Amino acid sequence: MMTKTIKAKVFRYNPDLDNEPYFQDFDIEYESGMTVLDALLQIQDKYDSSLAFRWECRGGQCGSCAVKVNTIARIACRTKVDPNENLILEPLEKMPVIKDLVVDMAQTTFRLRRIRPYVARDKKPERPEIIYAEEIEKVREIRKCIECSACLSNCPIVHETWDYPGPMIIRQIARLELDPRDVEDRVALAMNESVYSCTTCKMCEDICPKKIKIPSLAVELLRAKAVEAGYPLAEGQQGFLDSINKTGRAVPEKDAPLLKDIETAEFLVDNPRGRVAFFTGCLIDYRMQNTGKALIEVLNRNGIDVIVPKEQWCCASPAFRTGDLHTAHAAAKRVTEIFEEAADKYNLDTVVVACAGCGKTLREDHRPFIEEGRGEPLKYEVYDLAEYMIQVIGKENIVPPKGEIKLKITYHEPCHLGRGQHVYDEPVELLKMIPGVKYIEDPYRNRCCGAGGGVRAGQRELSQKIANTKKEYIEATGAEMITTECPFCTIQITDILQETDIQTRYIPDLLAESYRKGDAK
Amino acid sequence: MNYKTILCDVLVVGAGGAGCRAAIEASRHNLDVIMLSKELLGKAHTAMAEGGYNVSLGNVDPDDNPETHFKDTITGGNFLNNQKLAEILVRDASERVFDLEEFGAVFDRTPEGKIAQRPFGKQSWRRTAYASDRTGSEIMVTLTEAIRKTSVRVFDEVFATKILLEGDRVAGVTAIDLKYGDYLVFRAKAVVMATGGAGRVYKVTSNAQLDVGDGYGMAFTAGCELVDMEMVQFHPTGMVKPESAKGRLVTEAVRGEGGILLNSEGERFMHRYYPEVMELAGRDQVSRSIMTEVLEGRGSPDDGVYLSISHLPRSIIEFRLESMIEQFEDAGVDIRDQPMQVSPTCHHFMGGIRINEESGTNIIGLYAAGECTGGVHGGNRLGGNALADTQVFGALAGENAAKFAKGHSHTGFDRDTVVREFEKLESMLERKEGISPADARAELTELMWEKVQIFRREEDIEYAVKELRRIEKEVVPNIKVDVQVKRFNPGWHQAIEFEHMVTTARMVAEAALMRKGSRGAHYRVDGDPNDKGYYNIVIRKGKDGEMELRKEDLVITSITPL
Ligand SMILES: Cc1cc2nc3c(=O)[nH]c(=O)nc-3n(C[C@H](O)[C@H](O)[C@H](O)COP(=O)(O)OP(=O)(O)OC[C@H]3O[C@@H](n4cnc5c(N)ncnc54)[C@H](O)[C@@H]3O)c2cc1C
Ligand code: SF4
Ligand code: SF4
Ligand code: FES
Repeated sequence: MMTKTIKAKVFRYNPDLDNEPYFQDFDIEYESGMTVLDALLQIQDKYDSSLAFRWECRGGQCGSCAVKVNTIARIACRTKVDPNENLILEPLEKMPVIKDLVVDMAQTTFRLRRIRPYVARDKKPERPEIIYAEEIEKVREIRKCIECSACLSNCPIVHETWDYPGPMIIRQIARLELDPRDVEDRVALAMNESVYSCTTCKMCEDICPKKIKIPSLAVELLRAKAVEAGYPLAEGQQGFLDSINKTGRAVPEKDAPLLKDIETAEFLVDNPRGRVAFFTGCLIDYRMQNTGKALIEVLNRNGIDVIVPKEQWCCASPAFRTGDLHTAHAAAKRVTEIFEEAADKYNLDTVVVACAGCGKTLREDHRPFIEEGRGEPLKYEVYDLAEYMIQVIGKENIVPPKGEIKLKITYHEPCHLGRGQHVYDEPVELLKMIPGVKYIEDPYRNRCCGAGGGVRAGQRELSQKIANTKKEYIEATGAEMITTECPFCTIQITDILQETDIQTRYIPDLLAESYRKGDAK
Repeated sequence: MNYKTILCDVLVVGAGGAGCRAAIEASRHNLDVIMLSKELLGKAHTAMAEGGYNVSLGNVDPDDNPETHFKDTITGGNFLNNQKLAEILVRDASERVFDLEEFGAVFDRTPEGKIAQRPFGKQSWRRTAYASDRTGSEIMVTLTEAIRKTSVRVFDEVFATKILLEGDRVAGVTAIDLKYGDYLVFRAKAVVMATGGAGRVYKVTSNAQLDVGDGYGMAFTAGCELVDMEMVQFHPTGMVKPESAKGRLVTEAVRGEGGILLNSEGERFMHRYYPEVMELAGRDQVSRSIMTEVLEGRGSPDDGVYLSISHLPRSIIEFRLESMIEQFEDAGVDIRDQPMQVSPTCHHFMGGIRINEESGTNIIGLYAAGECTGGVHGGNRLGGNALADTQVFGALAGENAAKFAKGHSHTGFDRDTVVREFEKLESMLERKEGISPADARAELTELMWEKVQIFRREEDIEYAVKELRRIEKEVVPNIKVDVQVKRFNPGWHQAIEFEHMVTTARMVAEAALMRKGSRGAHYRVDGDPNDKGYYNIVIRKGKDGEMELRKEDLVITSITPL
């Protein structure tokens, strides 16, 4: 058998000797099942025993070995080497380098100590102490953390500021809040540690070797407790919620909303191959009416009946994200009712969404809440538009868009579409179907733009900083246009790219444009 | 030679289960306590323990009690245990597990809200307390939280290289700061060794990187007595594939929860070896049974056997064996449906620094706890007894070291020894010609794996002893680090460790050679039937610096060998 060789570019730096860091290339002999740690050990054994990195258990148990692997921090011992891709290995972010891949953890340790990270008690417990399994069920989940700090390194907020202690530490606060034995006011502590700074981008959850759901199990949980305890939300956030409760829309009406503008709820085609209900969400209805129309058009052109229930209501994503569970749950019930009714009336079982935030909320928040509540499954499945087209209609059945759009186009993967709904490549596949499009991959395409989690509404300045980092990534691609599939991201990115020549487009719009251009030919 | 000296009252070397527990205890006495470790706080080997902690709470089987725990421990240890120490283990295990809960540990529960307990090999009752199959992690996380509450000064990534003496009293240790390469001297009134085991002297092991036997090496050089060093436990179920995961532990909890062992013919072969206890026979017994199957040609393609749990309810697997699912997922095996391939892996050192009932050693002011000590487990450690050991003896060592420190002032120390030690470390960097640590290590671990393994025979051990003496004379003084940098240089760290590894390996081999019959984990294929083996082998450095071995009578309180 031929041994396969792959290239590893490894960050080297010894501040005692080097003016600045540099990358050194090594040839790695690939073995099947090889992990990044194996590759590092091979370099150490074969080429340079002074290459510095940490490891102990080689099995995801100690949390020593986190490094950045092709831009994303992960634990090396459980990250498989992809034989078809070169490796770029760098130290964790935000922590000063000691040498090569070894960083100084002092800041993290200090931040951990600052939250009094232990079960505080006001009296000695009985021996034995009676604790029921139900009481610790959630603690058990969140406690699997091995303090690898990978999540910290990937967090877009920590990237901008240490005002936020990062996912690992917020998780520890939640762990203590959930522990029935702990007597401290962890909610106040969480407020003091800027728990409202998280955009719920789910990067931490995605790369966590223990798959800890930090955004929902820690951040949103602590926020819900804060709301319950009477802490007021930021003005911008509260405005959304009041508006939702009053009008079913998070933002005030400006131009004629889509739902009022369209004459009918039924957009039917001859010989349909499918039928879906369209969940517009607030922004498509109130601010991006054309995108909504484009979506209906694109689906119709592909032989899909589209039903747009006119009485539809906000998914209340802002409420779920900021901890106002009262508003959140009421909306979940209402939305479910409306769409189940539509499902019955029109004999359909699919709801299509073109807003990443709404899609994630319908799938990850409404569904479990409703299903656990009534012990019965929902009557419909939720799909993102791109996902529906590629997965359900099928790439081979999609009517090819013919109008040429000659542009270098990159893609921003909305957090709540990729990590929120596991829709990763479908939007890009759609893009690539448009003639003339030169797709440019952005290695940072899945980094948060800073709009989500109530951060744009509540902390504009921080949101702006995150957006500016995002801007640097986008500009580095050299693309003329950035596309995405979320109204929040579209607004945020349009904002930051104002001064540049880069255009921002919503994918259904671009598709519709190509179709229309094709017709004209 | 430049070095910095750091003073404290109690110095704890090691931050695993035993070290953390000792430091916590010592810090309760209004003393300045320092804890050293080679890895970052919380990352010690203890975090890798999976199955659980033995304690006869009787929460599931009410008839259990410390006496039965004691009996099981002694029988399991093939009667070689120091019974005074085993009595302490079973006596204090429950208070120490409650300590852990008080610190914040989250063990799995019974329906009554008490700590749940699972069956483990060779135990009369369901006795092993657990947190899924990540019990060690739970304990390590808890102790880390607890340490962060104390005044203990944590010096992590600091590597102790030598124990310093002043007369017959301990004076502190020399060390290097792994991060920046500085030379350090820690001077203390009392020192606790909690340096863990040495699985890494074997090629295939379940142990963490740090477990190279520094503690055994340093203790021997300092003149400590060590006991039972020939007793090395090979865990029957280590991973076989992929190559890079070879030796990683497949917890005994898999068999505890009902997993069965099958050979290539699909036969549940434990029927033929230990029909009464089957898969839950002692670890040495299961290991030998597996090896016999493999040697006789009934092994899997990769020279292991199969461990299957596909007959168990999925909910049990998913709730109680979550780490195993993850571990095998990485290897492309879904253990809910597919069998795991397993074979023995070097797992635990029963032997180590000899301690008394105060956790003290034969050097005044020097205490020891955890896997680096010998005597508690005799010839074979029961699964789940090691975690209990770390807590029971960690607390004891911490308390007694504190008491000692309270009653004494600092000793002086010998600057020449210190300078010589640092010069030795420096010379590894300066040497122009020599052997690389990676090559030296490969030779050593291969030798131990081939010659001093599960099935042992005279000529193999003799060969190993001869080779180890040669390595000690020829390789150790010629270790050369290829890059001359002190700042975080793993090549240098390994070079320093190598001497400790060789000393440790030699103690294992020399003691194995002395013990002619089979007993406990020490199985002689050519066993002398007249050697019943009811003695302990004690090792110490003789006047001439040579290794001296002697046999000693067992320490018996209540159970005399059959
Ligand atoms: C995979 C695995 C699973 C296990 N599962 C179980 C189980 O389920 N139940 C059970 O009871 N037992 C189990 N064991 C055994 C148990 O985990 C160990 O015996 C126990 O954790 C040892 O703890 P310790 O504190 O003595 O040492 P360790 O946790 O090994 O810690 C040693 C410490 O000493 C430090 N150290 C070492 N040398 C130096 C030096 N030169 N300078 C400074 N510091 C130094 C290290 O850095 C480390 O901090 C398992 C073992 C393994 C390998
Ligand atoms: S969800 Fe994103 S912003 Fe929030 S803690 Fe995790 S990584 Fe940071
Ligand atoms: S939460 Fe997950 S990613 Fe973050 S430190 Fe803990 S284990 Fe690592
Ligand atoms: S080496 Fe322990 S988590 Fe990777």
